[in-house]
Amino acid sequence: MRLLEVKNLKKIYTTRFGGNQVQALSNVSFSVEQGEYVAIMGESGSGKTTLLNILASLDKPTSGEVFLDGKNIVTIKDSEISAFRRDNLGFVFQDFNLLDTFSIQDNIFLPLVLAQKNYQEMNSRLGPLAKRLNIEEILKKFPYEVSGGQKQRAAVARALITQPKLVLADEPTGALDSKAAMNLLKIFSAINELGQTILIVTHSVAAASHANRVLFIKDGEIYNQIYRGSMSNDDMYQKISYTLSVLASGGEDCE
Amino acid sequence: MNKFFYPRLALVNLKKNGNTYIPYILTCIGSIIAFYTMVSIHSNKGLDQMPGSINLKTILFLGIIVIGIFAVIFLFYTNSFLIKRRKKELGLYSILGLEKKHIARVLFYETVFVTVISLSLGLIGGILIGKLLFLLLLNIVHFKSPLSFHIDYWGLLITTGVFLVIFGLTLLTNFLQVKLSNPIDLLKGGQHGEKEPKSSWIVTVIGLVSLGAGYGIALSVKTPLEALMLFFVAVVFVIIGTYALFISGSITLLKQLKKNKKFYYQSRNFISVSGMIYRMKQNAVGLANICILSTMVLVTLSTTVSLYVGQEGMRRDFYPMDVSIIGEAGNTDFDEVKALLESEKEKLMVRSSDEISFDLARFRAFQEGSHFLKDMVDDESTDARYYERISNITLIPLDDYNRLTGGNKSLAENEMLIFSVGDNYGQATIVFGDQQYLITEQLEAIPMDFKKTQDMGQTYYLIVKDDAVMEAVYQTMKNDDDPQTTLHALMFNLDGDEDTLNTFSANLRTAVTQSNPDINIQNLYEALTELYFFFGGFLFLGVFLGSLFMMATVLIIYFKQISEGYEDSERFEIMEKVGMDKTEVKKTIRKQILMVFFLPLAGAIVHVAFAFPVITKMLAAFRLTNVTLIFLCTLAGVVVYALVYTGVYLLTARSYYKMIH
Ligand SMILES: Nc1ncnc2c1ncn2[C@@H]1O[C@H](COP(=O)(O)OP(=O)(O)OP(=O)(O)O)[C@@H](O)[C@H]1O
Ligand SMILES: [Mg+2]
Repeated sequence: MRLLEVKNLKKIYTTRFGGNQVQALSNVSFSVEQGEYVAIMGESGSGKTTLLNILASLDKPTSGEVFLDGKNIVTIKDSEISAFRRDNLGFVFQDFNLLDTFSIQDNIFLPLVLAQKNYQEMNSRLGPLAKRLNIEEILKKFPYEVSGGQKQRAAVARALITQPKLVLADEPTGALDSKAAMNLLKIFSAINELGQTILIVTHSVAAASHANRVLFIKDGEIYNQIYRGSMSNDDMYQKISYTLSVLASGGEDCE
Repeated sequence: MNKFFYPRLALVNLKKNGNTYIPYILTCIGSIIAFYTMVSIHSNKGLDQMPGSINLKTILFLGIIVIGIFAVIFLFYTNSFLIKRRKKELGLYSILGLEKKHIARVLFYETVFVTVISLSLGLIGGILIGKLLFLLLLNIVHFKSPLSFHIDYWGLLITTGVFLVIFGLTLLTNFLQVKLSNPIDLLKGGQHGEKEPKSSWIVTVIGLVSLGAGYGIALSVKTPLEALMLFFVAVVFVIIGTYALFISGSITLLKQLKKNKKFYYQSRNFISVSGMIYRMKQNAVGLANICILSTMVLVTLSTTVSLYVGQEGMRRDFYPMDVSIIGEAGNTDFDEVKALLESEKEKLMVRSSDEISFDLARFRAFQEGSHFLKDMVDDESTDARYYERISNITLIPLDDYNRLTGGNKSLAENEMLIFSVGDNYGQATIVFGDQQYLITEQLEAIPMDFKKTQDMGQTYYLIVKDDAVMEAVYQTMKNDDDPQTTLHALMFNLDGDEDTLNTFSANLRTAVTQSNPDINIQNLYEALTELYFFFGGFLFLGVFLGSLFMMATVLIIYFKQISEGYEDSERFEIMEKVGMDKTEVKKTIRKQILMVFFLPLAGAIVHVAFAFPVITKMLAAFRLTNVTLIFLCTLAGVVVYALVYTGVYLLTARSYYKMIH
């Protein structure tokens, strides 16, 4: 089943005084199947974050359409957008975005509290999730009291606790050391195996090599994609590296 | 680098930090205006011509000291606050390659700009506003003859000096801040890890107990003397209570709310409660300061305004009749006095009315039940009520009383009538020395005085059978420094316009005392000038300081809110990302600012409400007993203050919202 469908997305940023225009996305189309694990790669400034923000309904495209589970999120009313985001999407950010006024547990509860779920239900959802993410010990602590890896796992728990249709992650391993990054990627793979659809943006080849499919963006367009098929992570790694080097040299289509 | 590099950078910095530096500069200007005004009014030569200006000058001098101290504390506070907020920016300069001495140079130029702007605008403002305030003061103290108000160069010099020192000191502390820190620290600046605040039940309980004690004292005070003695004890208790409750009580309460899962995990409470816990942790002391400062403003305003507005009524209590002339019966020629009086009246066409004259004797005695003792019993002298037993006693012969009241009461040798100014005497007998007298009647009124609320000590009028009894009692009870013989009094009211009566009063005094140097003249119109100066001076200072403190309060709040705006904007951005509605974000923000803003005001109003009984008792010591009037003045003060406060809230909230979005 097709979960996400992106059609002819275009995004032009107009600077404040209307002078300069930056075309961040020129024409992006792709789709994501239910249960897929997709990585998006590309050089800095190629428009990855812009794309993700549009998918996250945090920003509107200049033109084009985005369907999530058949619903066009571009035309969603402003008043419904928060609820929609809360119910359907989970986010993991590079800099964690945990609130320092809440304990880890309350940070994880935040979207559920906003959705007005009762405490029993929140708690019953948290139990297994915390166990899987190995953050049971730190639930009562505050963000400034735990490590970066733990923070990111807490952020993942916050993204998953609403049981979203799609998890979006923007460079989730960006602020982590390689060990913590590896740990997080394993978690992503594991939750993906349980059926969670994931879309991550990353610069890390290691991170991308865990995905089922890797999309490459260049100059605001999908430039290429690699399907895992039956490849191992190592084979994926090789292939991604190769593609990236071709991409960087501005070379020809490499498929 | 060209030589204008640092000044230009400094100017750019000030502009960039406008939303904190403009209020800071305004504070400086305000303080300078206040200081200069006080100094120049204090040193105004014209004021010296007035009788009673000594009191006024003392009050004004007090004002100069208070404003000076205030300016130092407050400018330091705001400056340290500003520099803390800018640490990040300074750290960035240092990482970009500016050496510490270069940063210091930038800071130097910034201070120079601030100083030049503040001093020039402040002094100009002082000269203009000072003149206005001076006219206002003259008006308040009912000063008629026009006085010129020149630019006080000496005052300008002093003000400049004082504020140059203050600015110099702030610059020094800024240097120190930069010198003591490394770039990483500077970069991290304000954002050290936010610890979950500790709350302690003990501190909370201490707070509750001492607030309770303070309020309890305030409510249980019975007499003006007690009020004067216990007021500061109560104030100390309330201050301790306020700090303890703001610091610990608030957090204990919030944590208790947090423990209630059903309540806490509701979207509208979730964010407010945890947000408030952190707010309170960072701001408890600041909010307690604001609360106490506000209480001070309100109490100052309400008492000074009450005193001023109420002085009409108070005069009558001080002076039952406009003029009373009292001299020793034996060696004063009252016929001559009367003749002098008539000729003075004629000269200025002044009429008098309600004239009464009578014999009397006056002394003080120490009351123990129905016994009145010549000497004080020197025990438990710390007890406030001890002093209240010192009573003022006036003896009047029956025939004078009958003549004045038109009655024909009769008394035996050992009988007396009593009139008590305060509470009724309530005993059947009265004992002077070893002689006991029967009280045959408690009078409800007497021509020479009023029934009124008691202040310190009792005041009794006793009607005795005749001059002989009066003389006998007086000789038993009189002290060494009392007059040798009994007295004679002449009392009357005056009609005419105030200016004429002022002149008349002065002339009368000169004329009468020339031939009778020992005679005692009490004159309402002479006293009035002094009262006006006294209460008017108080009012002026009260309003002046009140406004100044208000400005301080307002700025503390403004700075706090602004500094939090930056932190909060990140927080709310995250919340929006995890699915919080924009309107909900706005609602939450509004709720939080409202709480932070109005908690101290609410606290202050409660304090004032509990202080009210004490205030009325204290003012009773100044003979102001009109509780309704005091209440209305207090209410007016609270309303005006709340309005100004709300105005600041609206302004602050606006810049805060701007920052969030
Ligand atoms: N708010 C904005 N206003 C104007 N231009 C923007 C804005 N956000 C991004 N851009 C521009 O759009 C282009 C794409 O930016 P985007 O952040 O999507 O890149 P990215 O692929 O995420 O880069 P990186 O890997 O460095 O994060 C860039 O040229 C950037 O300068
Ligand atoms: Mg990016």
